[in-house]
Amino acid sequence: MGKILSIKDLSVRVARKRILENINLEIDEGEVFALIGPNGCGKTTLAYSIMGIPTIKVEKGKIIFQGKDITRLSVEKRARLGIALAFQNPPPLEGILLKYLLQLIGKKKVEFDLVSHLLEREVNVGFSGGEKKISELIQIISMKPKLAILDEIDSGLDIKKLEKVIRLIERELIQQGSSVILITHRPDILRKLKPQRVGVMLDGKIICISLEWKKVWKSIKRWGYEGCRRCKLLVRRS
Amino acid sequence: MKDVGDVNYWYVDHEVRKLREEKGVEILESSEAYKEYAWVRKYFHKKPKEGYFFWIKKSMKNPLISCISISSKNLEQNLQNLIVIEKGVRVKLRGTCNVLASNLCSRHIAGGTIVLRKNATVEYLHVHSWGSKDHVESQYEFLLEKNAKLKYLYNLSSSPKNMKMRTTIKCFDGANADVKISISSNNCSVNLQDEIELLGKGSSGMISIRVVARNNSSVRALSSVTAEEEGKGHLDCRGLLLDNSSSIELIPKLSDRNKKAILTHEASIGRISEEELNYLRARGISKKKAIELIISGFLKT
Repeated sequence: MGKILSIKDLSVRVARKRILENINLEIDEGEVFALIGPNGCGKTTLAYSIMGIPTIKVEKGKIIFQGKDITRLSVEKRARLGIALAFQNPPPLEGILLKYLLQLIGKKKVEFDLVSHLLEREVNVGFSGGEKKISELIQIISMKPKLAILDEIDSGLDIKKLEKVIRLIERELIQQGSSVILITHRPDILRKLKPQRVGVMLDGKIICISLEWKKVWKSIKRWGYEGCRRCKLLVRRS
Repeated sequence: MKDVGDVNYWYVDHEVRKLREEKGVEILESSEAYKEYAWVRKYFHKKPKEGYFFWIKKSMKNPLISCISISSKNLEQNLQNLIVIEKGVRVKLRGTCNVLASNLCSRHIAGGTIVLRKNATVEYLHVHSWGSKDHVESQYEFLLEKNAKLKYLYNLSSSPKNMKMRTTIKCFDGANADVKISISSNNCSVNLQDEIELLGKGSSGMISIRVVARNNSSVRALSSVTAEEEGKGHLDCRGLLLDNSSSIELIPKLSDRNKKAILTHEASIGRISEEELNYLRARGISKKKAIELIISGFLKT
């Protein structure tokens, strides 16, 4: 299986502060990769770096997507190449209806059942936390991405909505061959989506990459993220 | 104008090109109305030379559409218009003022009165579209009699070189005015003055102004609500400044002469949010298109 994404020795800063340091990561085509770590460790910054959000400044390193160096490529060009990011905190877009945005960005028709009540509303204006997540996921799916980065797509969802969201990710992204980077704090979504690998981030570094997310989670539950620093059980592969 | 099929009144330069009356509507040139009906004279400051008179006596399903155009270079229009909507009538008005070519260096001066009789309900969409060398002056007064309802939407879609616009809305007992003014200015000087006067008990009014200024534009907007009687008024003024060569001045003014009246306002001027811009770009939308989307969204709020 080929690599869809290779991050080589990447260090980035945001507003003069170094947030990520020497990140090395490879994602396979069709792989589901889970990224976990405490709040503020740099998971969203890594997502933004891959997407090319301009507030992120690359100090060194490279981001290769499908064999092409995209480190200096603009955010919209990366999106057109097939990278899509479901934002953790999407901004409200006054006066822009979700229906219109989906028409504008959509490469494929999406089942609108989950968002039918939101279509005539302005994007993220007055949306609940759960509605924002569902709107994000539907937008991402409509873009038919090769690599979908889902930044805490499961937060703020009730159990029923979470199940629907998981089914959509499985059916519309994973089964369609998209690679997925799943940033999460919850084990239930990992249980359902069964990532092939999990990465643990601490202080802007990926300190561990393991093939067994269950063991990693068990260890974190017991020792906390700090325990990852001295853990010998996990398999490093990066 | 490409399609004039549905237009009721089309006036180009100094000539009526099309006049299509509807059942229950009388359409005349202002000068004819002035001659024919003595009662209309009080609405004109002087004998009008050009302009239209719409007398709407019955409710209409379809909108009544007028279009005032300029097609010749250096031409000056000076229109005095009068629209009278009779008691209890519900109507939608669509008015467009535009140039049919760019670089005409024309002057469009228009003014007049729109009278909403008791219980009349009007939804009026007024669109201006000009060339970069035109000069525009407009001064309208709306008179809302008892329990009349007005929804007035003004949209400047393409800006002239300079523009002065004054809109006054007088609300009598129980009348309600909902005014929305959207100005997208590009290399243009705009001076707006809009006012709601709450003259009758239980009257209410709201003015929403959305201003976008870019490319050497200067926009000054004085919006005011004056309460003479018990009523409610609100001003919502917002600006979006796109570059440092432009300026926006928003001046909300509240004047209360009745202790039972409630008047409020909010005002803000900002810039395009980087966060919104990046969000749209992350969806594969170009920076230019994303800016236009944010602007058009802002003008719609």
